[in-house]
Amino acid sequence: MKNTLRQVFHSSKFLTGFLIFAAILLTMWIYPLFNPGNPLEMIGVGTFAQPGTYFSLYDAATTRTETLRLPDADEKRITNLVSDADRAAMIEWFGLMEIDVSEVDATDIDALLDLWLEHYDPSVKIKGMTQARRNFFKRLDKNLRQIRAADTLLVMHQEEEELVEKARITKTDYVNVSDVANVKRLPLGTDNFGRDVLKELVSATGTSIVIGLIAGTVATLIGLTLGLLAGYVGGLADDIIMFITNIFTVIPGFVLLILISYSIGQDQRGASVVAIVIGLTSWTWTARSVRSQVISLRNRDHVNLSKLSGHSLFRIILTDILPYIASYVVMAFILQVSSGILAEAQLSLLGLGPKTTVTPTLGLMMNWAMLYSAHTNGSWWAYFPVILTITLISFSLNLMNTGLDQVFNPTLRD
Amino acid sequence: MKKILAILLALTMIAAIGSTAFAADDVSELPREETLYFAGQQWGAVNSWNIMGTNQNNSMVIANTSGYRSLMFETLFMYNFLNGELTGLLADSYEWNDDLTEVKVVLKDAAKWCDGTPVTSQDVVRTWEVDAEVMNTAGGSYSAFVDSIEAVNDKEFVIYAALNDDGDPVNPLKVNDFLIEVPIAQAAWIDKLVERCGGDTVKILNDPGEDVVWSGPYTKYFCDDQKVVLIRDDNYWGQDASMWGKLPVPKYICHAIYADNPAGELALKAGEVDVCQQFIGNIQDLWLKDDLPISTFYEEAPYGVCLTMPTAWYNMNIPVLEENAALRKAIAMAVDYDTIIANAMTNQSPSFADVPRSLMNPTDGEQALYDHAAVKDLQWVGNDIEGAKALLDEAGIVDSDGDGWREYDGEKISLNAVCPNGWTDWQASMEVVAAAGDKIGVEITTLYPEWDIYQTVFTNPNQTEYAIFMWSPDAAKPSNPWTRVNQFMGSDYIGIENNWSGNWGQYVNEEADALIKEIPLTTDKQDLIDLYTELTEIYLTEVPSFSLMYRPSMFHAVNESVWTNFPTGDDGRNIPPADCTDGYGIAALYDLELVG
Repeated sequence: MKNTLRQVFHSSKFLTGFLIFAAILLTMWIYPLFNPGNPLEMIGVGTFAQPGTYFSLYDAATTRTETLRLPDADEKRITNLVSDADRAAMIEWFGLMEIDVSEVDATDIDALLDLWLEHYDPSVKIKGMTQARRNFFKRLDKNLRQIRAADTLLVMHQEEEELVEKARITKTDYVNVSDVANVKRLPLGTDNFGRDVLKELVSATGTSIVIGLIAGTVATLIGLTLGLLAGYVGGLADDIIMFITNIFTVIPGFVLLILISYSIGQDQRGASVVAIVIGLTSWTWTARSVRSQVISLRNRDHVNLSKLSGHSLFRIILTDILPYIASYVVMAFILQVSSGILAEAQLSLLGLGPKTTVTPTLGLMMNWAMLYSAHTNGSWWAYFPVILTITLISFSLNLMNTGLDQVFNPTLRD
Repeated sequence: MKKILAILLALTMIAAIGSTAFAADDVSELPREETLYFAGQQWGAVNSWNIMGTNQNNSMVIANTSGYRSLMFETLFMYNFLNGELTGLLADSYEWNDDLTEVKVVLKDAAKWCDGTPVTSQDVVRTWEVDAEVMNTAGGSYSAFVDSIEAVNDKEFVIYAALNDDGDPVNPLKVNDFLIEVPIAQAAWIDKLVERCGGDTVKILNDPGEDVVWSGPYTKYFCDDQKVVLIRDDNYWGQDASMWGKLPVPKYICHAIYADNPAGELALKAGEVDVCQQFIGNIQDLWLKDDLPISTFYEEAPYGVCLTMPTAWYNMNIPVLEENAALRKAIAMAVDYDTIIANAMTNQSPSFADVPRSLMNPTDGEQALYDHAAVKDLQWVGNDIEGAKALLDEAGIVDSDGDGWREYDGEKISLNAVCPNGWTDWQASMEVVAAAGDKIGVEITTLYPEWDIYQTVFTNPNQTEYAIFMWSPDAAKPSNPWTRVNQFMGSDYIGIENNWSGNWGQYVNEEADALIKEIPLTTDKQDLIDLYTELTEIYLTEVPSFSLMYRPSMFHAVNESVWTNFPTGDDGRNIPPADCTDGYGIAALYDLELVG
């Protein structure tokens, strides 16, 4: 046993796969310690907040400030409000209003602004200008006026009927983010429900792996039992079992999975039910391979010896046959887990996964991201990390499997 | 030999590809500068053009949302939901008698059918006769309210309201609805239709009506399962000075049939669609981020005119809900409406802090119809977890076995929150309702059946499968808010099969019912306010349902790549954002301009 393990861990492929998988498991275990709470809590009001660090403006307004005189601060502020395209639009507007701007330098924002504030009137309708363009100029005007806003902003709060000054904010006031009482880091932003994607992802990965494990266990147990019986007992039992297996092989597994999930109905579909359904539809392949392995073992000397000694059927299967195919069964199990996770993702993407609000799964995260068109509105953080996680899990499991294959399969051994 | 065969095969394939490429359809080449493209109205191929029929699936010309869609068939008046006014279309004026039992209507002199014959009182009389006989949509909706129509002369007729046992009109408000919602057909054509069908009701309802006579500015030009195209009728009577004084600007109206909302949205972004009647989440991104020439009626949120309230209905067939007003109110108080509005509606709805909940939609006209101060203590803005918990504790609905969930009569309360699958904004709302249940210890799980299943269950008055489910009451029409109040609490809809009409939760309250019956006959403004205030009090105390958001009945986003001068909130024209087609919204078509 010790020797086998050493051999297995000598395989670089297995080791890499194992490390990736272990890292995922470790994150699932450690991350909730740092970020505890319900992963499905809707912290964000609104959809798809971008990844980044968010700090409370309310708290920041009264946090101790330092005065920093940064030479490019004004310039940055202006560029943030008025882009080069906006300046071009201003020139265009002057042109349409037949205002002479030949004297004005387009890079001189002050001069442009003076002219703008003098002439712009939101109620003037320019012939042939679309509403969308008029709205654009209204928004631009709002930004432009902010450039000329006073250097100091007052924060007031209301006491009874009176406004009481709470803080003054000047252009040179800076706050150290670590001093602000409420800072929230959202490395992967929020999803369509305003949930913390990273937190949800970690929890969903756990659920999906559990689904994979349950599905893999169910499929392997059924496949193994039927394969062993068919292969060892043979005769009529073999014919009957193989007849059933062949029928299940011919029906496309995924179609069967869709039909069963649909007929169970959404209110019955918990994560474990979905896992069991996946397991029930994916055992045929294991059954067939186990059977063929057992047939080749059936007439070995040690098996015949056991038969002659009058050992029972189950004892022979358990002690004389199973150990010889154990390595193969473990590999099959790993592949079943991997395909179970993928099957859940596929099902959920079709809206046939576990019912929502109870537990997050990787497939459900993708399903909601798709329903809210995350892929067309550029909210990559809602689905890409999920795809990456699924890929990593399935990659690591397959890598482990290949590694094991190299160790145990004599024809592949180096 | 094989080689020759292969070459032959290749040649036939090339020929086949070539021939399909050259067989371009004339209709696909509509001149862009003369065509106004729509999205979000027509789903699937057109069934029929028979204005007297049913199930036409022809929503570019036969539809009734915020007033009747009068591109091809016209109503007597046009409704403007911005100010509640009725503008004459086929008719010029109407006048009620003092008892509100009859209304006299005068038709426009200029009004003509497409064949040049004038529109007469006989047409109106015959239309209603057959409507009521075959019970099409108009007949079904108004037979309870309109008794008969009699012609006075060629251009004048009288509509007699249906009377109740006391000799009072059942509901004169619904007769006003009749004026704006029932399209008029030509008597001569109706006679032809009835004769051809041998008077058989089913045949009349299902006749394809290819030879139909219309009075509106557009008529059919082309339709298949890909698109519907209407062409302007240049002889349209409305160019008379007594009506519009000109023809509508676009020569063609085209609605491509899209597979789903995202497809229509993509077409709008690409400039292939000019007017889009679809909900588009975060619509401001289209101009802020994508810099597209797209705009809405108002430039700031909520971008449109919110007229209806998608509502969660409690199923009164479920004893725990029927017996516990406290439970109903507690769930409604705990729901986080701000999240629903920010999330499901992406803020295209005023909040319940801005427009406190009542039976009214957010328009000024309806808001003025109840006493805000009197019901202030009963209103809730949501996310009030502690308040909801206290309410449940007080009502004795507590968690006695310590499993974290509350029980009633010794049994754990377990409810579901249901809406059709794929209706993402509603699904998001149901998720928020379920989350609220979780916070107050009432188990609520979401359920999203397919639409065909959902529609059969929620319209069944005896169903017990759905505990909390979603549907919207009517938006805006002359009879509102009465119709909506009736839909919330009226007894008219108790126990009727295939209930698409109202009171989907089957809530019974005799006191409310008596007040509802009183409203149509009340003309004094203050009395009306008192009645509506009292009803609002009952509604907010009993909570037979709770609205989740305010919402436009029609969305109105326009892409100004080709056309411009669409109605906007600040242009002073008072044209409602009704997709340039519905009620008085059609006035927009006469003012359109080409860009540049």
